[in-house]
This record gives sequence, structure tokens and C-alpha cells, in this order.
Amino acid sequence: MIHQNILRFRNGRYAWWALGLTVLSVIIYATQGGRERPGGGTWQGYALGTLGALLIVWLALLGIRKRSYRSTLGSVQGWTSAHVWLGLALVLIATLHCAGLFGWNVHTLAYALMCLVIVSGIFGVYVYLSMPRQLSANTGGLSRAALFAELFGLDRQGRELARACDPAIGNAVRSSIERTSLGGGVLRQLLAIDRSLFMRTDADADHARASTSVVRNPDQQAVIDYVARRVPQAAKRAEAATLQALMVLLSRRQAVLRRIRRDIQLQGWLQLWLYIHVPLTIALIVALIVHILTTFMYW
Amino acid sequence: MLLRQLRTGPDGATEYQDTELSAEVLSLGSAADCTIQLLGTGVEAHHAALRSRGSDFSIECQRPATVAVNGRRTRSATVKAGDLLEIGAHRLRVLEAPAGFDLGLEWEPDPQVAPSAYERAFRTELSMTWLSRRGAAWILAAIILLAALLIPYGSLVRQRTGAAVPLLVPSDRMWSAGPLTPAHQLAAGQRCGSCHQQLFVHVRDAACRECHRGIGDHVEPAHLAQTQLGPAQRCAQCHQEHHAPVTGLVVRDNSLCVDCHAKSDVAFGKLKVQPVSGFSQQAHPAFTVSLIKPSDKLDESGQVQWAVRREPITAAREQSNLKFSHQQHLDPSQVTRASDRGALGCSDCHVLDADGEHFVPITMQRSCASCHELTFDPQAPERQLPHGKPRDAILLIQDYFVRNAVLPVAPTSGFHRRRMPEEQQSEAAVCNGPPLSCAMQRARAEIENQFTGRGCVSCHEVKDQHTAELLERFRVLPVRLTRDYFPKVHFSHRLHAVQKGKSGDAACVSCHAVKTSRSSADLFIPNLPKCLECHSERLAVDRVTLQCSSCHSYHPITTYDRLREADAQ
Repeated sequence: MIHQNILRFRNGRYAWWALGLTVLSVIIYATQGGRERPGGGTWQGYALGTLGALLIVWLALLGIRKRSYRSTLGSVQGWTSAHVWLGLALVLIATLHCAGLFGWNVHTLAYALMCLVIVSGIFGVYVYLSMPRQLSANTGGLSRAALFAELFGLDRQGRELARACDPAIGNAVRSSIERTSLGGGVLRQLLAIDRSLFMRTDADADHARASTSVVRNPDQQAVIDYVARRVPQAAKRAEAATLQALMVLLSRRQAVLRRIRRDIQLQGWLQLWLYIHVPLTIALIVALIVHILTTFMYW
Repeated sequence: MLLRQLRTGPDGATEYQDTELSAEVLSLGSAADCTIQLLGTGVEAHHAALRSRGSDFSIECQRPATVAVNGRRTRSATVKAGDLLEIGAHRLRVLEAPAGFDLGLEWEPDPQVAPSAYERAFRTELSMTWLSRRGAAWILAAIILLAALLIPYGSLVRQRTGAAVPLLVPSDRMWSAGPLTPAHQLAAGQRCGSCHQQLFVHVRDAACRECHRGIGDHVEPAHLAQTQLGPAQRCAQCHQEHHAPVTGLVVRDNSLCVDCHAKSDVAFGKLKVQPVSGFSQQAHPAFTVSLIKPSDKLDESGQVQWAVRREPITAAREQSNLKFSHQQHLDPSQVTRASDRGALGCSDCHVLDADGEHFVPITMQRSCASCHELTFDPQAPERQLPHGKPRDAILLIQDYFVRNAVLPVAPTSGFHRRRMPEEQQSEAAVCNGPPLSCAMQRARAEIENQFTGRGCVSCHEVKDQHTAELLERFRVLPVRLTRDYFPKVHFSHRLHAVQKGKSGDAACVSCHAVKTSRSSADLFIPNLPKCLECHSERLAVDRVTLQCSSCHSYHPITTYDRLREADAQ
């Protein structure tokens, strides 16, 4: 499992690499002076810039290495560990490269993008280290597919039971299954917003007519309450037993849905940073190319 | 509304499922909040809405969805009993409204949609939402490429054709590596191409020289060719722009000089330049001064030619053709100021020029005349000889005595005697000839006195050519005082006017040991050890740090400076 020790991979081997690179960069930087002002234009500046650019390209290659399962070029775990540590070292290397000279220009744009990528990466490391514990605590070690299999099994049983009930209950149960909301848009996934509905049939005051409408059913509680209220009104013993079975089933379903919803939420947060990290990385590479190109256009 | 759903039961027979729905508007679509949820292909989330219009009903689809009413595709239609509505593969037949209902609908669901389709319609991953790593990456990449490279390049091309670039359009100024120094910002800040004249080519010296005319090279190209130093550096290698306001454009580090000059004995080839590696007794050579001296040759008009000679301070002697004793002038028992009878000080003669480095040139008129009148006859103190014109002076003396012989005048009373009148009177007393020849004799005696006894000769070197003709006999040697002993070096006298508890004349004589000098040939320029008493090349206690550039200029004196210097002479 990656989350267990990407930072301490092989006793933090890559932390030492990053430290070595950092020290090397500081030494290179410190040799600047005399006639040359510290900055990107000295040979030390070019050396640090080349080092930083190569590092950025290599760090971005993790995205490719991760997908090439057949590669034997080091383990993905090792690559990730190195990615994290060397990515952190990059902040210092790039800062020494530019000698802290910033402005409203394409060069600082590349620097700013790099910082954003690294900050989003740090958030990624944080969630990779903290989320898996919460994930397994929530699912009890079950995969999401297993949870869904359980849900679908309950759904099937629910439909069967609904068939045996009077139309109002049957329709309520069936619609609560069909109109269960799980996940959805970005906010619904990340905030675990439940927009479940069900079709509720209510008799008029004089019991002459019944009307059906679609109503909110957050956390399935409304349909459970609806069925529960019908239990005392059951005319036959068999009907009461069916309603009891439905209650049990809907409650189990409620529990499974909670776990799935929480799982979707945690997984969402686990993946969200990548939707920032990856596009910004591509933007950074483009900005880097523009930075290098314009440097040599006007040097 | 009555909704009758047709379903196939477990036994294969068709079942009815009737539901009563009460709503103003019936929504149809795949979204869970629709009144009638229709899944399957060809159904939008919110596909259509059924509304009551009096006795009729109308169906309206949301763009781009359509509905087939009796086989005809439409976006909106009025429906009546018997019509068949098809949304995706779902078929909805409008029934005659049963008693107590406004509308009856018979729904035959899409047979392809299994019950489990409802469950599988969940979007449980962020990748199923609008969030897209690839899309965002493409958009960001395109924005950066356009705004930071392509549009500025377009602006640049437009600018080079002379067209104006609108203010808000990204221009090549985005490529600037940092702020310019204020003067360059003013002159070229809006047009990078003023300096960066060609893409992918370093800023050329020609671009600098378009404005900075008259800046000389540190080494003449002909001299550089004799060394092993290689080609001259570009201006921009030292003058690094785009670092404002952190650092200026002028390099002050010692490495600018000592990188080459420390190895001048080996790297300078045929050029003989003493090695310098710093500012200490060992690292810096002793000073040499540039002295103006008369050469042996005369120019075409018979005038003395002057030449600047560089000599080590230890051996150098002045040769200004002026006689002057600093010791005498600074001794109050011998010389006092004409105005207040006070002792003379340095600044009575040496007045600092506006540049704070040099002194206003010493001239007879400005520096000497207040004490040294050019009278020649105590009887006529108002008569003065013209300075710098010996021929006129001879004629004036002759004229004076002849005039006195012809038109005797009473001596002026109250004359302050500077000379010894007895001597002149004794000379006059021995003449017994006619008045004119006596007058000429007296004149001759006075002229000879001026050029050989006391008078002109007191301060000037006079050459007696022993010719019979008086006008040709004496030649007063011209005077030139060295104004700048180190013409290529900066030294601010103003900054040194107060030093280590000394000021005024005490500060002057702490470096210039003039008090005991009786000869104008003496040189008072201090040598390196004097500087090192207060200065060092590195930070040290009780020392002021000096860099090479504190005294030396990289670029030779510019035309402007040369003109100014010529002016001063």
C-alpha cells in the first residue's frame, strides 16, 4: 500500500537525495557573486535552471510511469517517494535559480504555477496519508463493488417485497429504490449531499381519494417513517409481517447507503487534488517552455 | 392524473400498476426528481414537461430534447386523448381522462431498461462529473500559450512594422526578466526591441552606443590584440539590466579589475602593465604621477612644448618654471595675508573646484596679485607692470623714465615701500649726461633689476641671452602647473577634508607635507602607504574599505571629461 510509507520508503532514501540536491544547489548558488549578480543569467543560474527544468520533466513523468504497469524501471512506490521529496526540493532550487527576483512576467508565472503544483501535491500527500485509515474504517475493509452488490441485493429483495404490498407502499418502496441518489455532481460527491426522493401516496382527509407526489427522502428516513406508520394499520398478520420485513430491509439499505455515500465522499477528496495537480502540471510545463523560449529570444 | 404503468410480471403476463399523481406540471426525464422517471438511451435528465392548458394538455421539451407525437418529432405540441408520445424508447399513450382525473397516461417503459439500470445510473466518481484533468490541462495550456507567447509575439511583429499595439493586449513586455533601471525604463521601457534588436541574439553593443556615444573601450582594440585576453566583452556582460531596483547597472566588484590585472605579467602579452591583485602594500604597485614638464623642443612659433610624463612618486620632481617656497608662505613671521595680516592657509591659494576633486587653477591674478603688486618705482606706486608680457613691461619702464625726465612730477606721498629705494636713488645719482640718456640708463638699470635682481625673477625663471637689444635679451620661461597628478583616478578632496579628527589645513597637511618645502620642485603627492593608513581592501577595524572602482574608472575618461579638462587648462 502506497499510503503506508511513501515518505519513509527505504528509510527515507529519497529524502536524503532531496537534501543532497538542496545542499548542492545552495553551494552552486553561493559561488555567484563578483561581477555577476545572482540570478537566472549567470552560469550558476543556468545550471540551477537546467536542474530545475529537468526535475520538473522527471516529476511529471510519474504520471506516465504510474500507468505503464509493465515497466520495471523502479517500483511505482519508489517513484512516488522520490516524486514527493524531489518535488519539495524543487521549491528551493527554483527560488535559488531566480535569486528571489520576481515580477509581472512569464518567468514568475512559471514559478507561481510551480508553487501551486507543489502546494496541491503537498495536499495530495496529506490526503494519501490520512484518508486510507478513514476509508477502511468506513467500509470495514469491503470494496465499493461489494457494497454495491449488497445494495443491489437489498434492492432486488425490496422490489420483491413491494410487489406483495398494497400499491401505495409498493410504489413508495419501489420509487425510493429507483429514486435513491448517490454521488452526483462534484459538490454532491464531496459534501455527501443526499437528494433521494420517493413517491408518497397520501389519502385525503375523508379517505375518498389518494394522491401521489414526489417528496424528499434524505438518508432514506422519510420512506422508513412512511412504512413504519403503516405497520399498525396492517389488516392482516401476513401484511404486518411483510411490512416488518420491509422495515428491516430499508434500514439495512439505509446503513449500506451511508457507507457508500461516505466512501464516495472520501474517495472524492482523495482524488480532488489530482484535478488541480495534473492540469497545473501541464500548464507549468507549457509556461516553462515559454519561459525558456522567451529567455533565449531576449537574452 | 392517473398513471398506468404496464409491466411484465414474473410469470410473463402484462400487469398494470396504477398511480395517482397530483402536480401542476408533470416532469419527464431521467433525473430522479422528475415526476415520471424515464431511464434509457435518448432521454435527457429533464426531458419534457406536461402542462394543463384549460381542457387540453401541452408537452414542451427542453432543448435539445424532442418528443415524437404520433410519430412526428416535435419540440412542443398539444396532446389529446389517443395520442402516442415517444421519449427515447418509452411509449406514453394519452388516455381518456377517467372520472375524477384530469389526465390519464399509459406508460410502456423501454424494454431495454432493466430495473437495475436505476441503480447503475449513479455518478460515484469525480471522473464522471464535469471535472476533467485533461480538459483543464488543455484549456490552461492554450491560455498560457496564447497569452504568454503567441499574442505577445504578434504584438512584437506589429510593433516592428510601426503599428501601435492596444494597451490591454499582452505584449513582449511580459517577457521582461525584471524591472529596468529608471533611465532605461524611461527611454526604452515600452519597446523591448530598442535593445533586443534581434530575437535569439544577445543585446549588441551597437544598441547601447545608439544612445551612449563617446564611451571609450577599456582597452584599445589595437592593444587588446597584443594580449591573450581574447575578444572584448559585450557591454551587457558587465552592465546587467533587469535587476532594478535591487542592484544598479555599474559593477563595483574588484573582480572586474583583478580578474585580468592580477595576471597582467603573463596575460597582457607585449603590454607592460604592473600586476594588481588588490589594495595593499603587496597587491598594489606604488603610485606614479603624471607631471607636466617642458620638453627640450620648441614648437614652430618658438614656444616651449609641454609634455605629460609619468614618474614614480619617490623620484618625481616638479618642473613648473615657477619659484615658490611653501615654507616661507606658511610662516606667519614672513608672510601674512594682505587683507587681515593673518597667517596664510592652504585655502587662501588652493580653492576646491566644483567637482570636489580638483582645484581652481592657480593664476597670478587670482592667487598672487593681492600681495604681489607689480610696481617698479616707489615714487609711482600706481604704475604696475603688465603681467605675462615682458616685452610690454620693458617698453613701459622705458616710457616711464623718459616721461619722468621730460615731465618731472612730485613724488606721491603715503607710498608704502616694498623695495629698497636707496639702491635706485644711488643709480640715479651717478648720471651726469643729458636727461634722455640718463632716463634710458635708469630704465635699463630697472629692467635688468626686474629680470636678474628682484621683480619678475623673484618668481620666474628668466634666461639672460646677453644680447645688446634689451627687448630680445631676457626670456621669462613659461609656467605650467600640474593640475591633475592622477588624470585617470578619482580622488575626492571634499570627502577627505575632514578625517580622523582633523579638518581644515590640518587635514590637508596630514597628506601633503608642504610646511618644510622651500622649493617648487618638491612634490607633495602622498604614496600608497599614506592611503593604507586609513583604507584597506577588506572590512577591517579602523579602516575604510576601498574597492578598485573607488579610485579607478573602467572606461577611460570620456570626451566630455577631456573637453572639460582642456577648458580648465
